[in-house]
Amino acid sequence: MGLPLLSFIILLPLLGSLLSAVGKWEKGLKLGATGISMLQLLALIYMGSTFDQTSSSFQWKEEVTWIQLPLGSLGNFIIKYSLGVDGLSFLLIALTGLISLLAILNSHTITEKKSGYFSLILLLNAALMGCFLARDLFLFYVFFEFMLLPMYFLIGIWGGPRKNYASIKFFIYTLIGSLFILIVMLGIALAYIDPYETARHLGLIQEGQNFDLEALKNLQLSIANKEIASFDIVHSFDMQALSDVNNCQPSSILHPNSGWLLQGMSARMWGFWLLFIGFAIKLPMAPLHTWLPDAHVEAPTPISVLLAGVLLKIGAYGWLRTAIPFFPAEALESANIMAALGAISILYGAYNALAMNDLKKLVAYSSVSHMGFVLVGIASFQAEGWQGAIFQLVSHGILSSLLFLMVGVLYERTHDRQIDHYSGISKWMPRFTLISGIAIFASLGLPGFSGFIGEFFSLLGAFTSPHIHPAWAILGAFGILLGAGYFLWTFQKVYLGKTYLFDSSWQLTDLNRLEIISLFSLGILSIIFGIFPQLILDWSNSFVANFLTTLP
Amino acid sequence: MGLTSLFMGLLLFPWISAMLIAVVSSLPKQIIVYFSIGLSLLQLSIIGYFILQLGGESTSWQGNWFNVGDITFSASFVATSSAQLIALLVGIVALLVQQFSQSYLKDEPQLARYYLYLHLFAASMYLLLFTDQIWIFYASWELVGTCSYLLISFWHQKQAAIKAAKKAFLLNRLGDIGLLLGLMGLSMHFHTLEFSQMQVSSYGPAPILVGLGLLIGAMGKSAQFPLMSWLPDAMEGPTPASALIHAATMVAAGVYLGIKIFPITGEDLHLLMAGIGAISLLSGAVFALFQNDIKKALAYSTISQLGLMWMGMGSDASLLHLFVHGIFKAGLFLSAGSVIHFLHQQKSSHHLDSQSLSNMGGLRKHLPWTTLGYGIFAAGLMGLPLSNGFYSKENLAGLLWENAQNSPYYPIYWALLGCLGLGMLLSNWYISKQFYLIFMGENRQGLHFEKNTTWNFHQNLPILILALFSLFFWISPNVLHFQQSSLLNWFHLKTFEVPSFWLIISFLSWVLGLSLTWFTKAWIPLENYRFWSNFWPSIFELTHWKARWAYLLDSLILDRFLIWLAQLQVISGHIFAWADQYALDGILVGLNTKIYQSAGQLLSKWQSGKIQQYWIMVFITFGLFLLYLWM
Repeated sequence: MGLPLLSFIILLPLLGSLLSAVGKWEKGLKLGATGISMLQLLALIYMGSTFDQTSSSFQWKEEVTWIQLPLGSLGNFIIKYSLGVDGLSFLLIALTGLISLLAILNSHTITEKKSGYFSLILLLNAALMGCFLARDLFLFYVFFEFMLLPMYFLIGIWGGPRKNYASIKFFIYTLIGSLFILIVMLGIALAYIDPYETARHLGLIQEGQNFDLEALKNLQLSIANKEIASFDIVHSFDMQALSDVNNCQPSSILHPNSGWLLQGMSARMWGFWLLFIGFAIKLPMAPLHTWLPDAHVEAPTPISVLLAGVLLKIGAYGWLRTAIPFFPAEALESANIMAALGAISILYGAYNALAMNDLKKLVAYSSVSHMGFVLVGIASFQAEGWQGAIFQLVSHGILSSLLFLMVGVLYERTHDRQIDHYSGISKWMPRFTLISGIAIFASLGLPGFSGFIGEFFSLLGAFTSPHIHPAWAILGAFGILLGAGYFLWTFQKVYLGKTYLFDSSWQLTDLNRLEIISLFSLGILSIIFGIFPQLILDWSNSFVANFLTTLP
Repeated sequence: MGLTSLFMGLLLFPWISAMLIAVVSSLPKQIIVYFSIGLSLLQLSIIGYFILQLGGESTSWQGNWFNVGDITFSASFVATSSAQLIALLVGIVALLVQQFSQSYLKDEPQLARYYLYLHLFAASMYLLLFTDQIWIFYASWELVGTCSYLLISFWHQKQAAIKAAKKAFLLNRLGDIGLLLGLMGLSMHFHTLEFSQMQVSSYGPAPILVGLGLLIGAMGKSAQFPLMSWLPDAMEGPTPASALIHAATMVAAGVYLGIKIFPITGEDLHLLMAGIGAISLLSGAVFALFQNDIKKALAYSTISQLGLMWMGMGSDASLLHLFVHGIFKAGLFLSAGSVIHFLHQQKSSHHLDSQSLSNMGGLRKHLPWTTLGYGIFAAGLMGLPLSNGFYSKENLAGLLWENAQNSPYYPIYWALLGCLGLGMLLSNWYISKQFYLIFMGENRQGLHFEKNTTWNFHQNLPILILALFSLFFWISPNVLHFQQSSLLNWFHLKTFEVPSFWLIISFLSWVLGLSLTWFTKAWIPLENYRFWSNFWPSIFELTHWKARWAYLLDSLILDRFLIWLAQLQVISGHIFAWADQYALDGILVGLNTKIYQSAGQLLSKWQSGKIQQYWIMVFITFGLFLLYLWM
């Protein structure tokens, strides 16, 4: 088992959170939080350097039984504290580590209740890490819910004028999503058995003994023949067990042959769509996205960065980890609808962005549009599409963080985000114009930047996929044009042209050193990933290849 | 040095040059200029040496780039003879334009940025020319478009410039969607990502829909009908940059795409391409007649000449005209730049629009060398003997005539030949007219310029070099025949026999065009129409009428349509946003809206902001749902 590195990655910010909440620090708060974040990043780098990219199985596994619950005739319940990291997880935790560090570094605008703020931001980091590392669905759900609390307070306390509204809206939306997830989670855990734990319970294997494939098949056969007494059955939330439909009890409505229908949809279909919608709210997918612009507009800059850069990715991660592996046949059957929803998200988000006059809202709607590409890519069920979608997750994490930091730079100087209140600011802020130009061209999908690779492969997968109609890819391609439209329009209005400021007393000073470091490091990352996409694709490759071969 | 490393150096060097310019950007201007020109000269020498080393053969290089799923994306490059020829053109024009710019833009404070963009453009252009892999091709296609955006909006304080830049980028992007889908279709049809691996023998030519997508992409880049309206606007950029990008090289990328897909597409697509080219040839030429601004006239002339290349359907005839046109059109733009620069210098005393034909006339006395150069370039455009344009235009006619003899679609080829004749006539007219109006006669405003006594070396040198290249002997020592041309043989260009009757038609078009100029010399576009009543009113009325209609079609319908379409997008964006804010938001959350204000009393109790209440609501909903499940 080796080092409990994953627990360390989660516990480190938790500890920091506790310390900053109880201690009476004033000066050292930001320094301490930065130190913790950097330490975490070091751990991630160490993990990355010893990681086996060719393996699709989880590495650095940790597993401890957490709760054991005998439920009589319902069998036994086991909840495990089990962590693990594969290529997909690693990409997202690396992103989380990086974006958290940048968010903490750029937290200097927070002046009041600082200890609470840093405590919550570290708590959020721990919850995010836990979410991406959990291998147990229950544990995942706990972390998923846990994210809500710090986010709610971070927006609700340090937010803008309509912070109460925005934070409550965020809370309700996410909560409804997690209710959907909860229903499916309980249902599927009751319907499925954990063959390994059941075998252990029956005494077929000893602790630590390997469970070979043949024994697994035998056990699954005896479940199918109802040879195991119901009180001997062990249920768990282990995602791997839940991903194998052979573990389903034949008496359950979730069994493929159950014939149970509700509104013409089988229980499995219901399960898939509930999970899908639960995570779609997080992504966010149009028309379930309306919490996002409000949350972004009210949240302080570093929180916007974390929200767009990392939190949104949990939606797609949830699909890739739970919804699709649990119900693969149903997902394939729904591919066309998923692609349509993705294409609608792309266009709808882009149209909205076109109409925005608030810089932050524009970026928020562009996120809706960009995450639509992720959905289109996933719906293709092709290696290209999935790789593109995962790439887009990382790329959007980098670029949307860059865009929100960019808005933050302007907002910090003037406390105004209206696009038509600025014109020709390149005269005062040439460095800022340079990095904004990079951010904007990268976001509108210019080749050579990471945004292009993600959008391109998502569309390529969708276009060549036998599961969905190419029309959705063609519709999605028009999102590229609209994206260029609203981004160039913004660039032209704000940065170029005759100089004009709404309030002539505004002092627009160019970037300071911290801003240069944080903005340019993201811009350079985007260029590096745009030219050497294998730096990301190699990580996700074995996950994608392995998963797609298991599809029916 | 091995060929492979030379090839790689050729591809990488411009990128390194751009980075070096960025590094030294804070040095004094003069140093940057000479540094940049030096880099450019080195670049051209590498290309020249590379082509010599190849000895007319092609070479290729391939390396693994990355894998996605089962597909290997390799970085594959191939130096075909057509790519070598165009790269040579890019190298020559880029160097001369940089040399010209140092005088033209000597008062510009941000000269380093300008030179940086030029190097970036050259780098992307070489990538575009030499890549064999369709997605690197697409990427560099977008990159040259971005460089064009950056250069058009170089003077970003000018509102017109940034609008033009945005328009150019968006119209190009519209075309790029076609290209993206077309390339996807191409890779699916031929099961390969390399242009050179596409086997027509095993899979048949690409389907017409795929070809159409590719053509739409090429239309955007080459400013062909109907995506043409961005090019005249793009003249807001610095003139030397226009010479490089919007005249000689980037806009020819669309033709280069045509050349690339020529062997893998069917005749139906070739004819479609030629048809679009014919429309662009004629309408561009008519527009060029009706321009007051000399740069805009040249922009329409570029559209028209690119249309001519499209009529070559991507065959070797297209390639030859691309090369020849690149030389003389870059020359025309640089000469126009020289004229504009001269008038601009007088601006302090006269306050005049330095691009308007109305302020010109009689400039031969002040700019004798520019006049000489302009005359030679105009002769090239007209295709007069002793100029390089003669060969390429005759060659095009030969191609169409040969196809008219052998193809089942011969009526279309005859119609194309007719369009070619008419287009030549119009071209001869507008270019000789422009030459006359700028340099001949007396200044129409009666302005007295100080005689330009200083020999402007930096501007005249590039113009004269290009003029030298525009003469016949580079292509063939024989004035009328070029079948023995060593240049064409080196690059394996196929030539076509010209029927002797075509020489008579050409001759007639020159005579007629020049006489039209002579008879209409008093008419300046958009300024005075007095001659209408004096000379053949009906014919001019017709031309005028046609131009009006074409202009209406272009600016009112096509352009306006695109603007409307864009505006419609914004309006629908607003509608969506409104719906988003009031309807969707209102339905889903039930807060915040004016519609709901009437119900506000009830709802205001909701807005207490207490989490517990939301929890209760959520649990009631959840309970109702469970109830429904069990019922």
